[in-house]
Amino acid sequence: MTPETTMAGLSGQLFAVVRIEIAKTFFSRRSLWIYLLALLPAALFFMNSIYAKREHARLAKIAIEHPVEKEALRSIRNGARLEDVVGLLGEPYRKTTYGFWSGQPPQRHERLVYFYTDGQVDVTLYFIDGVMRRTGQSGASQTLNQLLLVFANVFELYFLRLAIFFGCAGIFTNLFRGEMLDKSLHFYLLSPVPRPVIVAGKYVAGLLATAVIFSVSTALQFYAMFRGFDGEVVHEYLQSNGWSQIAAYMGVSMLACAAYGSIFLAAGLVAKNPTTIAALLLLWESVNAFIPGNLKMASIVFYLQSLCPIEPPPDMTIPPMLRSLVAPAESVDAFTGIAALAVISLLVLIASGIYSRKLEINYSAD
Amino acid sequence: MNPGFITFDNVSRFYGEVLGVNRVTLSIPPGITSLVGPNGSGKTTLLNLMAGLIRPTEGSIRVLGIEPRNPRELFRLVGYSTQFDSYPRGTTGRQFIQSFLRLFGYSSSQASKLTAEALDLVHLTDAADRKVAGYSKGMRQRIKLAQAIAHNPQVLVLDEPLNGLDPLVRAETLNLFRKFSSEGRHVFVSTHILHEVDMISDQFILMSNGYVVAEGQIQDVRSEIRDHPMQVTIRCKRPNALASRVFELDHVVEVRLHPDGKGVLVLTRAADLFYRKLNHIAMEDFGIESIAPADDTVKSVYEYLIGEESQR
Repeated sequence: MTPETTMAGLSGQLFAVVRIEIAKTFFSRRSLWIYLLALLPAALFFMNSIYAKREHARLAKIAIEHPVEKEALRSIRNGARLEDVVGLLGEPYRKTTYGFWSGQPPQRHERLVYFYTDGQVDVTLYFIDGVMRRTGQSGASQTLNQLLLVFANVFELYFLRLAIFFGCAGIFTNLFRGEMLDKSLHFYLLSPVPRPVIVAGKYVAGLLATAVIFSVSTALQFYAMFRGFDGEVVHEYLQSNGWSQIAAYMGVSMLACAAYGSIFLAAGLVAKNPTTIAALLLLWESVNAFIPGNLKMASIVFYLQSLCPIEPPPDMTIPPMLRSLVAPAESVDAFTGIAALAVISLLVLIASGIYSRKLEINYSAD
Repeated sequence: MNPGFITFDNVSRFYGEVLGVNRVTLSIPPGITSLVGPNGSGKTTLLNLMAGLIRPTEGSIRVLGIEPRNPRELFRLVGYSTQFDSYPRGTTGRQFIQSFLRLFGYSSSQASKLTAEALDLVHLTDAADRKVAGYSKGMRQRIKLAQAIAHNPQVLVLDEPLNGLDPLVRAETLNLFRKFSSEGRHVFVSTHILHEVDMISDQFILMSNGYVVAEGQIQDVRSEIRDHPMQVTIRCKRPNALASRVFELDHVVEVRLHPDGKGVLVLTRAADLFYRKLNHIAMEDFGIESIAPADDTVKSVYEYLIGEESQR
């Protein structure tokens, strides 16, 4: 029996390698924590949406029972007297009172906390001895735009740099190194598949797995965010530039998998301990924000960030002196960003393919 | 160079400073070739070189005219059952064979059919859908063998294929090797079970410390070993008389009576001459029933050339 000619080509062999690898990449025990990494932000956004909805319902209910004019609530200023506030807004839906001693000689003072809501925002008014001193605001005050900025931050700081990075490290380094440790790589090398095709097949399988896991997670994060808002708000966002932003973020996730994946696959092929290479790459990608100007372009995260459609607000946790160092390099346009990532991935894969031709099975040394 | 042969031309392989094999030159015809030698003698290195899992530091190898660095052509002709007792995780026996057959370019239905045939040949059909991880040592050996033969290779390379097999399965496996060999294929077996090598081998290669110490048909190799007299067992009715008669021959160095009193063991430095003389002696009234060489076995050659102490 001879192999069917339609399957005899390299593409058939590539497909066969992908078929073998795909189950390992999607369903291996190691993939469990990668799913956790990927789905964590979606879970957090989901919980936030549940909280926001419940808070919104709570405030709406209170607003019906204790109606307050929104303009009247906004007009209250520090220094207002308690009687004037109650006269304008009516009785609060909740209030607390307590006394305290201060001054010399000590005198007793009375602190009052009044809670109002217009159905959207929970407003807290603090009075001391009948005069308003300050206000506080909480509750379902987040807007979709605010949440999108939070998402942009989470995506760049957590999702790209940690979740996708470590997810790809876990899956791609294992494609070769895992089989060397399991002593099962020789089955591939004893097949009539050219070694570069084995490299390509494993890469495609890893890419399919990571791209699906992380782009689906990205889409889920948007879905989770949208759940906290009225349909109209979501519809308006999607009709303006929402769909393109979602597509862009999913695309960035896939490109990140492609670029990091190629490097980690090469690391698993070449290095006995690929975690060293992963640690060095993580260090380089992490300090990318602090390296000057065009040197930033020698990193993957630079191109990925350039492709992100929402620019996150500056990280105010960075000390002011350092903040001057993190001035971003000139972003590249989408075509340059995609092309740069594609070229990086391709070059690393070609190098891996060439290296694989010299690969020897010597498990005892691994 | 015969394109139907497996050839090693002055092949050396070093692992850094450590010698794997050194200056190996072989030309192996079809049939069953046994590779024997103590641990660390370079047997597995030789097999791995043949399959391209490692590359020679020097020299060149051709398997039926194909270089091992050309997997697309080589592995359509070669099946290799390695010594590694490890398998892709989570697969059943059937999945294991079938998935790798797809790499050869077989369609799903072809792969299924070939898998079933290979499983049947190694008598693993009943266990085919169980996880390989749950197989016994013998079953794992057989599934490995099935994977190596599933694509009907012209060259079957087997590293210690009889380890862990029970006597019945071992006999069946040896029959399988004979069947392959009778079809004009190469069966290249590395083993340390020497008496079975005698039973099945058309030729053998003896390795020690990375060198090929001897190669060829066992009788030819044995006759070349001059340091150890050839041993001939003669079964007869009058062993004492025969013992005194043959001891008169110059080249006979020792004659031992068989413990059962029904024969003698003769040690001679000139086997050919002894057999010629024995034709005349047989005409005398010793009641000779059978004459058989006693030490033209791989085991004997192994002991003579490498030493008993190094045998496992």
